[in-house]
Amino acid sequence: MTTPILEVRDLHVRVEDKDILKGVNLVLPPGEVHAIMGRNGSGKSTLSYVLAGKEDYEITGGDILLDGESILEMEPDERAAAGLFLAFQYPVEVPGVATMTFLKAAINAQRKARGEAEVTTPEFMRLVKDAGSRLNIDSAMLKRPLNVGFSGGEKKRAEILQMELLQPKLCVMDETDSGLDIDALQVVANGVNSMRSSERSMLVITHYQRLLNHIVPDVVHVFSDGKVVESGDKSLALELEAKGYAAYEKDVA
Amino acid sequence: MRQTMPVRLSTAEETLIEQLKSLGNEAEAERISVAGLPTRRVESYHYTDLKTLLKAMPPLAAPANEASAPALRVPGAYQLMIANGAVQSAGTAPAGVIVETSEGTSLSTRDDVLVHLNGAMAKQSLNLTLEGTVDCPLQIDRRIEGAAAHSASSARVFVADNAKATIIETCSGSKAAHVGNHASYVSLGKNATLTHITVDLSAEEATHFSTTEYELAEGSKLRSLVIHAGADLARSQVFARFAGEGAHADFTGLNMVDDGQHRDITLDVHHAVPNTTSKETFKQIARGRSKAVFQGRIVVARDAQKVDGKMMMQGLMLSDEAQILSKPELEIYADDVVCGHGSTCGHIDEVSMFYLMSRGIPKAEAQVMLVRGFLEELIEPIEGDELREALNGVIEGWLQGGIQ
Ligand SMILES: Nc1ncnc2c1ncn2[C@@H]1O[C@H](COP(=O)(O)OP(=O)(O)O)[C@@H](O)[C@H]1O
Ligand SMILES: [Mg+2]
Repeated sequence: MTTPILEVRDLHVRVEDKDILKGVNLVLPPGEVHAIMGRNGSGKSTLSYVLAGKEDYEITGGDILLDGESILEMEPDERAAAGLFLAFQYPVEVPGVATMTFLKAAINAQRKARGEAEVTTPEFMRLVKDAGSRLNIDSAMLKRPLNVGFSGGEKKRAEILQMELLQPKLCVMDETDSGLDIDALQVVANGVNSMRSSERSMLVITHYQRLLNHIVPDVVHVFSDGKVVESGDKSLALELEAKGYAAYEKDVA
Repeated sequence: MRQTMPVRLSTAEETLIEQLKSLGNEAEAERISVAGLPTRRVESYHYTDLKTLLKAMPPLAAPANEASAPALRVPGAYQLMIANGAVQSAGTAPAGVIVETSEGTSLSTRDDVLVHLNGAMAKQSLNLTLEGTVDCPLQIDRRIEGAAAHSASSARVFVADNAKATIIETCSGSKAAHVGNHASYVSLGKNATLTHITVDLSAEEATHFSTTEYELAEGSKLRSLVIHAGADLARSQVFARFAGEGAHADFTGLNMVDDGQHRDITLDVHHAVPNTTSKETFKQIARGRSKAVFQGRIVVARDAQKVDGKMMMQGLMLSDEAQILSKPELEIYADDVVCGHGSTCGHIDEVSMFYLMSRGIPKAEAQVMLVRGFLEELIEPIEGDELREALNGVIEGWLQGGIQ
């Protein structure tokens, strides 16, 4: 059996004395796209932050493996260099830091961590231009400080731009569809779909079925009260939409 | 009321008194003998108690024999040097720049101990008259060279009516416990435009005092930037007076303070006439066990209607032992004015930090990016790529110096 790109084993997480994740199990083999669906407050963003290594979360049990190696002791930047990328539900505005400067710093930091040569300026410009044109991101937007004054949709597109530039092994997308109109959703979905490959896995977090019409998942997990309560193929998303979350939550109660 | 009990003098004060006597300045010697250096009981020195902070007073400076490497050289700038108080001869001045010297200090007779001491000690002043548009930046490179010395320097700048220029002053010198007392008097003529930057790059063991007086005529425009990145003990004083209507000034400053350091920027802006505007933006960054002080006062005279003044101090603490102090004051005697002030202080934003790190940027580098972002507002408006780059280099040097 091939090693999964991501394996989450019985993960328990506590925030400020409150148990949020209560035994999450997930296995993402290479090349697969899994969706996590769950209502607001079920712990989806918490899971994505814990994967990316945010502080302030107390891991009270379980493990997270990337390519078969535990990443629990790794800093966020080390996890990124190891190939993990999180597209934030709420991308952070960073005044005073030019988007282009940031993008180049991120690419080079990851290359350096992997012992690769830095990107040359012409190569970098070409990469940004290509990815930007696919995502309808113009150069004026990239001249602004990182995410500052970007509309909701621009922020989400900028996240996918970063994902394309960094070419991660594992893409975690937290509600990338929220705040997007139909056209922007299509653009983003095309960007994500173009990145699907046999060596890459994706975890798509959403609470609407809508996104999954565009990014068709191999597996759908229903998330409730800090754990996966049901898994199935893409039809589960439709079923969930028809029946509502309550039906699945009762199963566990 | 004046104290009747004689003050207990420190050795630094006693040395200072001897120095003033040797310079033939009995009046100033007497003043220090009676009152000593200002303590926290003197309001304008409340946060910078010179009597306590100034541990030693080195001997008066002798003429400089050699010059150390320049602390900062702005490519393409016309260089002028003052070494141990003496104006050095310079190359042919660019068009529109007249270089002269005169005896004594350039400052007015303001009741402030650092101003008094500069007046007592400065032997010579560098006088610049700037006409038309001066294409290249002018660098006034002030040095204190040789063994530890107490040294005063002085410069006077007249920006003629309608003239436009950029001046960067740097203070540096040999690695010794100097006490520098630097003065600038800067006068902007009608509709003149000036960018005036002062950067302290003295050795850490040194003490840096600087006083700048600005006089702004009708329609003139000033951007002033003070940067502290050198001496462990530093105080830069900026006194500005709006003398003509329609003048505008941006007073800005960057107080970077490291472990064991105490640095103070004190600003006093006097809107003496109506229809003048000023914007004060000061940033303080402190790490280790250190103290950063900003005192800012805006005074609006009784008849100075329609004055607009906005003062902001933002502090960034990089350690828990750091102290950032801010004392903004508005003294408004006119009734139709728009003036305000604010101050904020905080640590590096953890959310931004996580965001940058989640993209693979290591902690130290992410911190540098965020601090640079915090300061961008001060550097970005400076015209001239080379000048901005030089200033960014100063900031970078400070930031890199603190990465564990
Ligand atoms: N930093 C925090 N401090 C306290 N409670 C938190 C924190 N972060 C999340 N929570 C709580 O954890 C639960 C799950 O939140 P979240 O992971 O954002 O859910 P979702 O993304 O599924 O909407 C919520 O009840 C939320 O209030
Ligand atoms: Mg969420």
